Amino acid sequence: MSVAMSLHQRRKRKNGVMMALCVIAAGIGLAWLALILGALVYKGLSGVSLSVFTEMTPPPGDAGGLLNAIYGSIVMTIIGIIVGTPIGVLAGTYMAEYGRFSRLTTVVRFINDILLSAPSIIVGLFVYELLVRPMGHFSAIAGAVALSILVIPVVVRTTEDMLNLVPNALREAGTAIGAPRWVVIRSVAYRAALSGIVTGILLAIARISGETAPLLFTALNNQFWSSNLNAPMASLPVTIFQFALSPYEEWQQLAWTGALIITLTVLGLSIFARSLTGRREDR
Amino acid sequence: MKPMLSTDLNVAETAVEKAKIEVKNLNFYYGQSKALKDINLSLPERSVTAFIGPSGCGKSTLLRVLNRIYELYPKQSAEGQVLLDGKNILDRSQDLNLLRTKIGMVFQKPTPFPMSIYENIAFGVRLYEKISKAEMDNRVEQALKRAALWNEVKDKLNASGLSLSGGQQQRLCIARTVAVKPEVILLDEPASALDPLSTAKIEELIDELQADYTIVIVTHNMQQAARVSRQTAFMYLGELVEFDRTEKIFTSPREKRTQDYITGRFG
Repeated sequence: MSVAMSLHQRRKRKNGVMMALCVIAAGIGLAWLALILGALVYKGLSGVSLSVFTEMTPPPGDAGGLLNAIYGSIVMTIIGIIVGTPIGVLAGTYMAEYGRFSRLTTVVRFINDILLSAPSIIVGLFVYELLVRPMGHFSAIAGAVALSILVIPVVVRTTEDMLNLVPNALREAGTAIGAPRWVVIRSVAYRAALSGIVTGILLAIARISGETAPLLFTALNNQFWSSNLNAPMASLPVTIFQFALSPYEEWQQLAWTGALIITLTVLGLSIFARSLTGRREDR
Repeated sequence: MKPMLSTDLNVAETAVEKAKIEVKNLNFYYGQSKALKDINLSLPERSVTAFIGPSGCGKSTLLRVLNRIYELYPKQSAEGQVLLDGKNILDRSQDLNLLRTKIGMVFQKPTPFPMSIYENIAFGVRLYEKISKAEMDNRVEQALKRAALWNEVKDKLNASGLSLSGGQQQRLCIARTVAVKPEVILLDEPASALDPLSTAKIEELIDELQADYTIVIVTHNMQQAARVSRQTAFMYLGELVEFDRTEKIFTSPREKRTQDYITGRFG
């Protein structure tokens, strides 16, 4: 009896120690996150003003805003999403629906996973060789293409995963009522997986809106307003990169503010994405 | 509901009944393994036939051959003949989607589509018919009445089909199947996931539907088979052991294996 008690106590102690370690580990992870957010808010918030959203990036030593960089980021992100999403959704659909039992799917999934974890700078170099060199100059188009290549694997993965979560019984039910395969996919499977697929797209937006490396080799940067897709275009990440490294105080302040804007945007998208999946679970 | 062992049928009557579906020398394979062995049976029109047998005996497999839904999966194949009104549906030239509008199916777990109650029913109708909004409203109402669900949902047709209870969802699935006007309805353990009250409702419904449809039901529950069916097929290890009028199967089976199964000696 006493032996059993001491065993029980030992286990309780062990449990306590392990629990404490886990809490500490989680705490350390969260602390960094909190520090980063805190630093961003502390340094960035003071620079937020209307002029950030209405004025162009200034020359050194001058006051200005981030309008051209914000505009460039939005334009290239939108094009990247518009180009990358259909390809990703269709590929994911093939893998989860038509090609579920095919060898090609296994191969595509493997390659997609590699692409998913490939450093984005490699994508930038690839597009540099593919578009920038033949065209002879940097351009917004090249930047958008680089971003769309980053979108594809994220969307492929989430689309496939979400469609795989749709129970086969639902597909059988659609089929049993006489619906052709494409109708079952469009009206039943997509509908059941919709919030998950949209979440994937939002996460892809969140991912590419902070990417710097692929834009450095493709869209480069632009000190001035430019809506020409065939010319270099400013973007928030690249501007932050350039301004943060500069010795000018105004530029450094704008870099902090830009970083805060990106972070809040990504945070907002993630929360929105989470609320979409959350709603699905409630149902 | 019918008494458990009605004797209002006689052998002569069943013998002259027109066969809706005839299965001839049917073999079925999952990859290399043979799941159905030389099945022969004939399902009379406008009556309920039950398939019973222990798990893995092939009763669900046989049901899934009748609307060829097994073709969703690779490596499953059937050989032999399944004649629907004399025409072989296993033929390559058979249009699968049209076949499935004629032979509807309801599954073990309720499978409402992720859309409104109204849309769940309109969906199947819209696939093959172009009808006006008023006609569709009427069609939906008729189907829901047929499935004894109308009174419970008439005020919330736009609510999600998933918001209904399990028993209601299953009746919605039956309504959805009936709405496309099939000739045959296949039921794969339709009540095994439901509570006794919902089960009673489904059984009552089956009893009413047999006036218009040829019904095939797979069930684990022998009392259910005895309650709802006119003829029963007992299957074991991929073979059709015995097929006869239900009261015959349950009172004086020909085969010892049938006797052992219905008396609970195995399975």
